[in-house]
Amino acid sequence: MVGIPGHTPPHLPHPFDLEGVLSAVDQTTEIVTVTGASISFPGVRALDGVDFRLFPGEIHSLMGENGAGKSTLIKALTGVYQLDSGTVEIAGEQVRFTSPVQAQAAGISTVYQELNLISNLTVAENVMLGHEPKRGPLIRTRAMREAATEHLERLHLRIDPASMLGSHMIGVQQLCAIARATAVQAKVLILDEPTSSLDKTEVDALFSVMRDLKAQGVAIIFISHFLDQVYEIADRITVLRNGKLVGEWETTQLPKFQLISHMVGKTADELAAIAGEAAAGERVTQDAEPLAQAIGLGRRGMIEPFDLDTYPGEIVGLAGLLGSGRTEVARLLYGLERPDHGTLTVRGRQVRRFAPRHSLRRQVAYSTEDRKVEGVVGDLTVRENILLALQARRGPFKPIGKKEADELVNKFMTSLDITPANPDLPIKNLSGGNQQKVLLARWLAISPALLLLDEPLRGIDVGTKAEIQRIIADLARQGMSVVFISSELEEVLRISHRIAIMRDRRKIGEEVNSQTLTSSKIFETIASSQELR
Amino acid sequence: MSSALQWINRAGAWGVKYGKVLFASRFLPVIGTLATLVIMLIFGQIRYSGRMGYSFVSLPVLTALLQNNAYLIVLAIGMTFVILSGGIDLSVGAVVALTTVVIARLLPVGVPLGITLIIAVLVGTAMGLLIGVMVQSFGIQPFIASLAVLFLARGLSNVIGVDENGVVRSLAIVHEGFAKLASWSIKFGEGRAIWRINASVLIAIAVLIIAYLVLHHTRFGRTVYGIGQGDNGMAAGLMGLNPERSKIAIYMISGTCAGIAGVLFALFMQTGFCQHGIGMELDAIAAVVIGGTLLAGGSGFVLGSAAGVLVYGLIFVFIPREGLDATWSRIFMGVILLLFVLLQRAITVRGEKRSAGHGAKKPQLASKKASIDEGHRDNRTEVNDE
Amino acid sequence: MSQLDPTSRQSVKAPNFVIQVFTHRLFWPVVGLILLWVACGIALPGSDTAPGFWSITMMDGHLFGQIIDILRAAAPILLLALGMCLVIATGGIDLSVGAVMALSSSVSLSYLISSPTRETLPTVLIAIGLGLLTGLVVGLFNGTMVARLKIQPFIATLIIMVAGRGVAFAFTGGRIESVVSPPFKFLGSGFVLSLPTQVVIVTIVAAIVMISVRMSALGVLVESIGVNRQASFLAGVPASSILMLVYGLCGLLAGLAGMIYVAPTMATNANAIGLMLELDAILCVVLGGTALSGGKFYLSGTVVGALLVATLPKAVIYFGFPMQITPLFKGLVILIICIAQSQTLRDQFARRSLRRSVALAEGSPS
Repeated sequence: MVGIPGHTPPHLPHPFDLEGVLSAVDQTTEIVTVTGASISFPGVRALDGVDFRLFPGEIHSLMGENGAGKSTLIKALTGVYQLDSGTVEIAGEQVRFTSPVQAQAAGISTVYQELNLISNLTVAENVMLGHEPKRGPLIRTRAMREAATEHLERLHLRIDPASMLGSHMIGVQQLCAIARATAVQAKVLILDEPTSSLDKTEVDALFSVMRDLKAQGVAIIFISHFLDQVYEIADRITVLRNGKLVGEWETTQLPKFQLISHMVGKTADELAAIAGEAAAGERVTQDAEPLAQAIGLGRRGMIEPFDLDTYPGEIVGLAGLLGSGRTEVARLLYGLERPDHGTLTVRGRQVRRFAPRHSLRRQVAYSTEDRKVEGVVGDLTVRENILLALQARRGPFKPIGKKEADELVNKFMTSLDITPANPDLPIKNLSGGNQQKVLLARWLAISPALLLLDEPLRGIDVGTKAEIQRIIADLARQGMSVVFISSELEEVLRISHRIAIMRDRRKIGEEVNSQTLTSSKIFETIASSQELR
Repeated sequence: MSSALQWINRAGAWGVKYGKVLFASRFLPVIGTLATLVIMLIFGQIRYSGRMGYSFVSLPVLTALLQNNAYLIVLAIGMTFVILSGGIDLSVGAVVALTTVVIARLLPVGVPLGITLIIAVLVGTAMGLLIGVMVQSFGIQPFIASLAVLFLARGLSNVIGVDENGVVRSLAIVHEGFAKLASWSIKFGEGRAIWRINASVLIAIAVLIIAYLVLHHTRFGRTVYGIGQGDNGMAAGLMGLNPERSKIAIYMISGTCAGIAGVLFALFMQTGFCQHGIGMELDAIAAVVIGGTLLAGGSGFVLGSAAGVLVYGLIFVFIPREGLDATWSRIFMGVILLLFVLLQRAITVRGEKRSAGHGAKKPQLASKKASIDEGHRDNRTEVNDE
Repeated sequence: MSQLDPTSRQSVKAPNFVIQVFTHRLFWPVVGLILLWVACGIALPGSDTAPGFWSITMMDGHLFGQIIDILRAAAPILLLALGMCLVIATGGIDLSVGAVMALSSSVSLSYLISSPTRETLPTVLIAIGLGLLTGLVVGLFNGTMVARLKIQPFIATLIIMVAGRGVAFAFTGGRIESVVSPPFKFLGSGFVLSLPTQVVIVTIVAAIVMISVRMSALGVLVESIGVNRQASFLAGVPASSILMLVYGLCGLLAGLAGMIYVAPTMATNANAIGLMLELDAILCVVLGGTALSGGKFYLSGTVVGALLVATLPKAVIYFGFPMQITPLFKGLVILIICIAQSQTLRDQFARRSLRRSVALAEGSPS
């Protein structure tokens, strides 16, 4: 397939076609055809001979794990990246975009995963950027605001178009991005994780707009981590894995479980095996002194007062949706911010000083959710990154001796299996999973009594995930107290002894993890308390 | 009675509506600047008026203020574009010197006035282009790129700015047309209350209006703010703007403004001298900061910068009137700068707190920088753990 | 998760020696310095009557020569640049150092002028102490603004840059006065171990700073703040204490630089002392390979940068150009070195060499 120039006739089935696909969607000609697309970055083959097609009037979901190549494919379609090899055809015509402007001119409108708006401009300016009403060379502000209001109305969003975009919540900003994408008469609409910060009603509004557009013949590419949303809205699904195409299916013909196994590249049995590896359900005796105890701990605008205690040898999982207050609990337990309510006691002593360096002295460690911004120190070497917290605790004038440093670094490089096994490489050259292991090593180096892990498994491939989970379980077995946060409920269930359930910035329940506790039960707890309000 | 109440109600509603807009945090620094300006004028009015019907706040004094600071207004406007985009231009003072020297050398050899002035302005544009190319195409930090051009421009004006004997000195600009242009003005009023608007003021105001229109009514203006938001123009690029070309254009605008300022400065001083404008870039930066533009980029207005220049200019009016040594003006300058920086900081902190309360957690400055660095240094991380 | 390409991993692990030298941060500054000095040597070959660029003569146990002159001129700049390098490594900048030089020397000399015992050693030591204290106080003020109030370093230090000279002037009553005090003057025109005093002082200070920064963990912590302040904070790095320390040190060194700078003339001239030297100091740091955005820093490179910056004005004279073109010359050198050092060219070079090594690997069957 790779490198064949020209147009692939639509009536010729692709090798991965399943029967019945063609009949399901009303199409005449493909609006987008990608053939043999390959893109390499230094050290990484991000896209490897991927074929993809999109028909007018369909919603097509692009699925895959993190790093599967979804965003890269999108960026190749919109001219952000250039293909190393392969072709892109728009309505049968081969194109080669070198900038997003050209893609937009060709009728491709995109909402990128990372919110790509200009937060220091107004809402209207953002929504209408690029297609403002003008008088001569100058933009007409009032007309622009009116038009923007109209586009926002379609998403049931009523905000002042003259307000700064950055002053709104992320969810609203996301809707503005969508309004912007739908404001142009696009032939192709690409939505990369548009729903990650939206609540249910906002998602419904978005879906109704998507259905309208679909009825008008617009082709929509929809990328989402939420399987339920995909099954609700998508007509077809294309799965990518490690930059390669796995296949294309009609949504109704692809059971969820099968989709997952395609995405992770493992059979159902293998998945079950991984799940069995971690030791869940081990009950920890709670007659011991709690290691950390939060009583009525809270901070206004951050999280409602909550009680939580952790014991040595125990893993406490925090379950809840994004923005439910999981991260905030960890940050308060770490002592990152001063609570304005309640008390925090660590090993029997009330905490009065709130800053990371005091937390380190208390032997409390916090691995952040935002690895890139708050975790890795990119230009420093792996060795320096591993030793950073330990060195910080000792202060600048008590350097770690070379021998001790080598021992520590070697120990963690081998025990965590960090690759490449060269501690003198800058950490930014490592893959995400290995960066995460280095950060874990950083915290283990201070031999913490309480380890707070916020999304330690995000963006990591399945193998490494299982490995890190095993390490965490081992640490707990050795007597460490661990707080584990993940947006994947299954992960929390797999590893935790006890689970605190969070919703809307408050703790709404706590359950001992046992065989009877399932993710659906936790979801029920979250959902039912929603109705109570 | 009831109608009065109604009126009060309506006024209250109006106040709430527009007050909200005015006191939205992005306008606060500019309001601070304008308030300072008003307070200073009131201070001047109380302290210096009264004798023989002399009023400090009067058109003669104010237009004189404008005339004396016209070049700085133009300079500050150009600087505003650069600072809004998160950059800096240290070269403008040297470019002013170069421009005056170019004028002083071209006019005596018979180059027509109009062409001379155009060449002078274009020299500034060229210097800006040089910075822009260094910043955009070679990824050199604006600070260093403009520092290099500072030295280049200063050196060039040293080389050009010599008299027929090859001696570096201040060159008087002797040219009939130029002198006419310098002394041309529209006269208003009579006797004591006479006031004038000269070419410099008109040019400065024209530049101000054009800058306002460009910044707020064109796509280019949006790009300037977009680049300044701290992601190196990535979002702007994805939205279909052209941050690469715009970045170069921003420095060209700054250079052009420096060229125009150089012409105004030459009109003002009637000399071309390579030692002109030493430290003027700092005056411009200070005026922009006092005018409420955040040095981090992304937030600010040209109008504020113009007001900042006037605050700045008033200090130099007050100090001698108070019988203080000229060096005190520098100390006052520093104090005012300090106050404004603290004010801006307080506003940002308030904004951060509020947005934290909203739950709209956005990485702040430090992280902003980190993410840009990661972003353009290395695509790999992005691919691996997107 | 994609696997790392084996070829790229190899090139990361064991880069070609030539490439290693060429892409080393110090390569271009050192090459620049050598070229400049060689050119100077050619321009000033020396004769029986006039000594050449390279000739160093011993007179009364004191060394003289062009190189010694360059070292002497580099001394105050290097003092500024050492502090500046650490400040820049934290992601900051200190524009105030020139003004601090003026301020500290004014304070110091004013004290000497007012003291009747100005020619005795204790008084001079107190004067020097006052000067250093002034520098330290200003440095700590900058540090407070940056570390505690979280004001952008550029603007925080701009305040002192604008106001500092005014304060210095106010201190000396706006007059230019000179004073006679042999012990103080020794700082600027004396000799220790046949070398000019200031060269010896600066060498010792530079050695102390370089050794203590790298022996302690200060260097790494400074770099971590410069690369990612937020991550460093979360890892428990005492960022504000370190920033205070670094800005304080920068101020202290600037104070010392001010004293060394005025010692030969002993005249208080707040308008001229250290004028624009902050830019020279920043230049030394950048020419030495430290990025203005912070992070990895190179004190040894900064030393090379200081020598380069100190050589430039003298080279212009050796080459027989009129002195006023010095800035032009300086601008051109910055332009060339910055472009040569720029990431864009570096990337292009790395890409080309990578391609070459890949081609080699593919060409030779293993």
